[in-house]
Amino acid sequence: MPVTRTRLILTTALGTLLGAGAVAALAGFVVLRAGWYNVAATTQHFEFVYRLLEQAMHYSVRHHAQTVLVPALDNPARIMRGAALYHDNCAQCHGAPGVAPGPHGMSMQPMPGPLVDASRHWKPREVYWITRHGIKMSGMPGWEYHMSEEELWDTVAFIMELPKMSAADYRATTGPRQEAAR
Amino acid sequence: MKAPLLAALAALACLLAGCGDQRPPGVNAGDPARGKVALAQYGCRACHMIPGVTGSEVYVGRPLEHMMRRRVIAGKLPNDQPNLVRWIRDPQAIDPGTAMPNLGVTERDAIDMSAYLLGH
Repeated sequence: MPVTRTRLILTTALGTLLGAGAVAALAGFVVLRAGWYNVAATTQHFEFVYRLLEQAMHYSVRHHAQTVLVPALDNPARIMRGAALYHDNCAQCHGAPGVAPGPHGMSMQPMPGPLVDASRHWKPREVYWITRHGIKMSGMPGWEYHMSEEELWDTVAFIMELPKMSAADYRATTGPRQEAAR
Repeated sequence: MKAPLLAALAALACLLAGCGDQRPPGVNAGDPARGKVALAQYGCRACHMIPGVTGSEVYVGRPLEHMMRRRVIAGKLPNDQPNLVRWIRDPQAIDPGTAMPNLGVTERDAIDMSAYLLGH
């Protein structure tokens, strides 16, 4: 009876799969509903979870930033405007050469990375995309509704210059101008 | 006959629970377990890779593995716990050219951080 036998095998396989799926879903629901997962920012992710989420973020940014058109960024006036914007809006969480982030930036989970090496990991259009849209569930805000298009690019232009800057360079770019402005 | 077994079990339990009382040689103060969390909560891991602390692959600051084997800190200070605490609390005072900022680390937190770092 090959037909009956095949049917029995298929029914058993299907039943096992559905049963296992139901048990897994129930287990997941119990863990979720019981609140056993600890959301505290003082607890860490597992290394592999962190790596996976970070890698997914990189792929997503690269994909979504593909169509962004980059204007000229090497204009000194633009970079100076970017320095002021960076100092006012980014340094609180990301710090700067010789400048610590504020306490809220230091103690976030995931930690806002330093941007002095951003140009090693990201193209300008990707930095622009991240700045404009932010990153979900990471604490990175989207600046689209809070900075003009020009301001977004000014900030990107400055971030691209950061690797070349020492602590003294950063102070010279942002410090005196800040004082003069007040 | 049961004493060695009990001792082995106690040692195992201690190992699993991560008994913090036994400090590595050269580490005279601090709570390494608390220091590990402090290293995350002051954002140290943002620039430095630290064994046991989760974060990105990053080389903005030097990786802080095998701290116990280092002879010097920041190229000039002899590597011991008091100097490491000094460096963590005010790196700019020791090397004005360093990009590492003063992060406002309290003395207790710096001692705990140094206890963790020197043990890994």
